[in-house]
Amino acid sequence: MSGAGGRARTSRLWLAFLLAPGLVVMTMFVVWPLLSAFRYAFYGFHGLVPAGFVGLANFRDVLFAAPFSAMTLRAFEHNLIVFAALMAGQNGLAYLIAFALLKTLPGHRLHQVIIFLPVVLSAVIVGFLWQLFLNPLFGLVNQALLLAGIQGPPWLGDSTTALGSLIFTNAWHWIGFPALIFLAGMQRISRETLEAARLDGANDRALLRRIIWPLVAPSTTIVVVLTFIGSFNWFELPYIMTGLNGDPGGATDVLGLYFYRTAFGGVSSGLQDFGHGSALAVLMFLFIASVSAIVLRVLRRREIEA
Amino acid sequence: MAERGERAKNALIQLLLAANAVVMLYPLLVMLLSAFKSNGEIFANPFALPAAPNLDNLRHIWGETNFVGYLANSLMVTTASVGGIVVFATMAAYALARYPFRFSAAVFLFFLSGLMVPLKLAIIPLFIEFDVLHLVDTRLGLVLIYIAMGLPSAVFIMTGFLRTLPGELEESGRIEGASEARIMLSIMLPLARPAMIIAAIQNAVPIWNDFFFPLVFITSDARKTLPQGLTVFMGEYNTDWGVLFAGLTLSALPITLVYIALSRQFIAGMTQGAVK
Amino acid sequence: MRSSRIGGMMLAAASLWGMASASARAGDITFWTWRQEDRAAFAELFADFTKANPDIHVKFEAFAPANYNTIVSAALAAGHGGDVLGVRAYGGLEQLATAGYLKPLDAKTVPELANLPAEALAAESVRADHRVYAVAFASQTLGLLINKDIFAKAGVTPPTDWAGFLAACAKLKAAGVIPIANGTATGWMDEVMAGIFTGPFLGNGFMQDVVAGRATFADPRYVAALGHLLELRPFMPPGYTGIDYPTAQQLFLSGRAAMFAGGSFEIANFRKQNPKLALDFIAPPAPKAGEPQYVSKFFDGGYAVNAKSAHGADALKLVRWMGTTAYADKFSSLLGNISPIKGVTISDPLLAKVAKLNEVSVPYVMAVYFRYETPTGSELLQNGLQRMMAGSETPAQLGAEVTAGIAKYYKPFQKK
Repeated sequence: MSGAGGRARTSRLWLAFLLAPGLVVMTMFVVWPLLSAFRYAFYGFHGLVPAGFVGLANFRDVLFAAPFSAMTLRAFEHNLIVFAALMAGQNGLAYLIAFALLKTLPGHRLHQVIIFLPVVLSAVIVGFLWQLFLNPLFGLVNQALLLAGIQGPPWLGDSTTALGSLIFTNAWHWIGFPALIFLAGMQRISRETLEAARLDGANDRALLRRIIWPLVAPSTTIVVVLTFIGSFNWFELPYIMTGLNGDPGGATDVLGLYFYRTAFGGVSSGLQDFGHGSALAVLMFLFIASVSAIVLRVLRRREIEA
Repeated sequence: MAERGERAKNALIQLLLAANAVVMLYPLLVMLLSAFKSNGEIFANPFALPAAPNLDNLRHIWGETNFVGYLANSLMVTTASVGGIVVFATMAAYALARYPFRFSAAVFLFFLSGLMVPLKLAIIPLFIEFDVLHLVDTRLGLVLIYIAMGLPSAVFIMTGFLRTLPGELEESGRIEGASEARIMLSIMLPLARPAMIIAAIQNAVPIWNDFFFPLVFITSDARKTLPQGLTVFMGEYNTDWGVLFAGLTLSALPITLVYIALSRQFIAGMTQGAVK
Repeated sequence: MRSSRIGGMMLAAASLWGMASASARAGDITFWTWRQEDRAAFAELFADFTKANPDIHVKFEAFAPANYNTIVSAALAAGHGGDVLGVRAYGGLEQLATAGYLKPLDAKTVPELANLPAEALAAESVRADHRVYAVAFASQTLGLLINKDIFAKAGVTPPTDWAGFLAACAKLKAAGVIPIANGTATGWMDEVMAGIFTGPFLGNGFMQDVVAGRATFADPRYVAALGHLLELRPFMPPGYTGIDYPTAQQLFLSGRAAMFAGGSFEIANFRKQNPKLALDFIAPPAPKAGEPQYVSKFFDGGYAVNAKSAHGADALKLVRWMGTTAYADKFSSLLGNISPIKGVTISDPLLAKVAKLNEVSVPYVMAVYFRYETPTGSELLQNGLQRMMAGSETPAQLGAEVTAGIAKYYKPFQKK
């Protein structure tokens, strides 16, 4: 130690040493690319090279010019459906499962391990597995229905069932995650609160709606925001199960697939279009960021009120 | 009366939970069993046990595809990324948690800004950047992206944890004349191990399972990761379901085994990371 | 200061790793393709090449077809990639070539170009300057693959006109087999199937009108041809909207279906998967008896030289060899594909038959003319066909939709 000045210098170097790697990696691979995405959206492209400022033309094309505008809107609607269905189906069921597990009946620990097992598997494995199961002729699902005398539909090939089949697969894959987040929230509620409510004559239903629901608000916030971001980033599952075009006839096309196809080219043609792709990415980013921010703010306020 | 009603209700709940467990496990069981069946058997008797356990499918995947190579790549990429995340995040978090400095709050916010960013949307600029840096089709490229993606939440968790450690330990170290690095490495960090494990598991699973970034960046078969490699042999053997199920089973096996052994840490790591 | 130094070091390390992975032993060149199933045949072909050029060894690398375009452009942009590349013809080639990733070929560097017919050269050229960038490797013919045993057992002879075709389908169905294996769940197969059955109804007159800008896809001739596809629905597998390409192959290979509307590229694969299959390839039915039974034809792709290849001379040697009849003969016999090289000997009788069918052909229209800009004719048609076959869209709507989409960049369609 050579006095206070030396100490300050070492400490400044020491701080820089600690912070630099993280800051450099974040800047190079998160912040810079995100900022560049905004810039590229205003350019036309020649292959991988920006070729001239085009103003808002890319945005105008993907939002208002046929046939792109119809594809954008269709994909966006599908994302909305996915979000709503996952909230109601997957997360609603997860909430009930969490409550059932809170009762600590025999086997509840094993059940936690079981419902969380698909969560650790890759969407690629889950997608392929269910694609095989949902095959109209040889798949497990329709073979089982056939035993009951029912001719099942071609789940992934019929435009009325395809998106629903993907949503079901997603719920099967992920349900353990919201369930255990809800469970963790419920376990933080003190025993006394629950006992007191019971003594007041509250049955399970009243308990779930009036006591637990407000008190797991922090868990709900996390589940809603993560489901929202996940739904609008949906890519792997539809890519594996119904292909890059969102077959059949675009019935499962979502923004993630549409963005990828626009940027890197579809199956039949490898034509890249980075300008329109960037414009789509920027719109998606702004939408996801602003909605999550609003949702987060509203739900956090609710947590405090509760 | 009430006691009996309660017991009946619990029995019903138990039954529903059991049904749910079947829905979760049965598909995986069929996947496992079908890996030991021939193609004809799968089509003729989808629900039956394999007539005679047939190892041809597994042998096929193991011997005639690059499965082992994909597995090795996934291991390398995941280990390097998780290692990088934990080391870099702990370093940054240590600076943020244990030293007051002028831009501390701003730096913390800078890290947090990456928290819920869908980095997939920045794939075009990343692609161009990788092109310039010669990182396309390299495992290092993947590792750098994964580190960048994992840092925000890891910094968040580690900073929160390191702040709770008492200052006296540090002070006594300083009084004994230990260097700052010594204090960090041998006094403070051993205490931070639980938080480091959470940060590691929370990142290891999504990195191990990631498909998007390899899909875009990795082109050589020799550098493909397991989820990406899976699409290769699913395409190559698309009419032989026995081989397909064997491929799925083998691909799911490593992480399933680790999960069964460490289920408590996995669940804690993945859900706590989200809740905090 | 410190942070920039660390950043610099990381960059240096990064580029070193990147470079290291791109370099290879001298005399080793790599060949890239999307045709994963060709591995064994190319081991033999490249062994021949190495016999003639003892110091050059070729490594075969294959990628999933769905990602191949992305992978190749990514790798080429980064300055690596195979030394010799399988590239798709038409629009796929043009984008890679105009970006400067491929080495232009001419009579001086590759004298073997003289062995190729004009339409094969056109498929591998950039439209603007007519420079050739690849040696075409195969022409693909789209028609009907049939199981002769099933036809014989049901007492059906392969039909030649549309009415006869529908009658044959009805008879096959009554005999308890699925007449047509195809489903509609895989987009590109829908385009193939549509190409096969509409071809004879359209003929070359319509194709020329479209190319000259005299007709669009909303033309009554095209809409009527699409309408005939709907008549096939009762003869496709149950739940055909959910039958994907592998499942359709499975149905045909296992003898559950009598016909498979597909390309000549299936022949080798089908024979390998079921050697006992009594396979035949016939042209699709003509509108009326005695009229021409047009098959659809296009060039699959070609072999190009990576412009940034570190082994340019060796790569060029390989591509030149791939333009010789020695290569073409062996390629055709090993892979069951029809090489466009003039003077190729096709020993396999079935393949020789397909080559003969090629004499009465129409271009596979979207691939040949409308895969140069987005939205491509193919993606518009594929999406719409799935809806049309599912019954949620009429042929007229589909024709109008495809026309409107292409009109985005194709001037002659804009006025109509």
